[in-house]
Amino acid sequence: MISVGIHAQPKGYTAVKNLSAFQQSLSQANAGKQTITSDFTQVKNLSLLSDKIKSKGKFYFKKDDKVRIEYTSPYSYLLVMNGGQIMVKDEQKTSKINTKNSKTMQSVNRIMIDCMRGTVLQNPDFKVTAYENAQGYLLSLAPANDAMRKMFKQIDVIMDKKTYDVRKFTMTEQNGDFTYMDFINSKQNAAINDALFKVK
Amino acid sequence: MTRFLKLSSCLLFVVLLGACSPYRHLTFHTDATESAMKYKPVFDKKLYRCVVDGHFLFKKFHLSGLLFFKKLEDKSTRVVFQNEMGFAFFDFEWDKNDSFKVNQIIPQLDKPALVKTLQKDLSIFLFKDLDKSSEVVAEADGNVYNRFSLVKGFAYYISKHNTLQRIENTGKRKRVTTIAMDGKETVSSLPDTVLFNHHRAHFTIQLNKITPHADE
Repeated sequence: MISVGIHAQPKGYTAVKNLSAFQQSLSQANAGKQTITSDFTQVKNLSLLSDKIKSKGKFYFKKDDKVRIEYTSPYSYLLVMNGGQIMVKDEQKTSKINTKNSKTMQSVNRIMIDCMRGTVLQNPDFKVTAYENAQGYLLSLAPANDAMRKMFKQIDVIMDKKTYDVRKFTMTEQNGDFTYMDFINSKQNAAINDALFKVK
Repeated sequence: MTRFLKLSSCLLFVVLLGACSPYRHLTFHTDATESAMKYKPVFDKKLYRCVVDGHFLFKKFHLSGLLFFKKLEDKSTRVVFQNEMGFAFFDFEWDKNDSFKVNQIIPQLDKPALVKTLQKDLSIFLFKDLDKSSEVVAEADGNVYNRFSLVKGFAYYISKHNTLQRIENTGKRKRVTTIAMDGKETVSSLPDTVLFNHHRAHFTIQLNKITPHADE
């Protein structure tokens, strides 16, 4: 679902005027992306505590619906999404979650994959407002149902103007705390072994 | 019949033994100079890796995340539990008078019994809302036992060589929770590792300090 003018306009951005042209360019750019590998840094901003919690790791995406998020510092944590299943692994245990039994996990799974493969505008769980500036596009996602509203106040996705690669992914909770992931050293179409997405 | 009676007597003895206080052999006295309040954690902030393990009705559960302790300028204390991806599970607060409130909690954890258990665990661990006038002390086997009366049961702060080793919450008769700790840099610092063991509810909460921790 895409629209203009739902949110207050973010500073430094103007609303995308030609939405259909943007949508078409996004689809074309992502059609050629089979895989994405990237490093990431994650920062959780605890607004009321005026504090931040930082972590970093490696990110992998493989079409159509495989994602691997591997936290390496300061803790070890692995999240693999493959089809309808999610596997999480901490220092002690591996757990498998079938998203078909959880609407919330299904939605979180889908939004991450939609952002990577450029189908975020069709996501039914969010109302998407598109903005742009000289460097990139900003997609502002507002939850469209109660389940998502309980989890998020808003999700913002910043994409590179030329490549449409996701540069930043920000999730804002209802209390104003937000977590952002910065994607750096991104590579497209590098060979990624399917074993990395195995949900055991 | 005689064998049955003997067996019954033995079982009754075992049950009664188990029903007695684990510290019934100690003789407590009042001694203000030996107060456990010197172990009350003084900290700015500390971040832990947190792992919860347990079972309920034959079903095992496992949950991991990050637990963040912070003392604010207004002297309130906040404890925030979030998952690795940054999504907050709960945000608890004790104001400067140790009054407790839940700032935020996800619906899956928002159960009165669970909130009460977590509040009690963290309150005892952080020396919150203790009735200092109820404190009594005993010594045995090289350990010092400082006991505070709670609304229900007691909190025992057990130290050795001027270092807090563990905290035990007991009911009238049995241990309810043991909080074992290690790696305290000073008498009053937060420990580097902590293990909350719930003997009745059958779950553990394990904390390990994360370095480097949260920064501004």
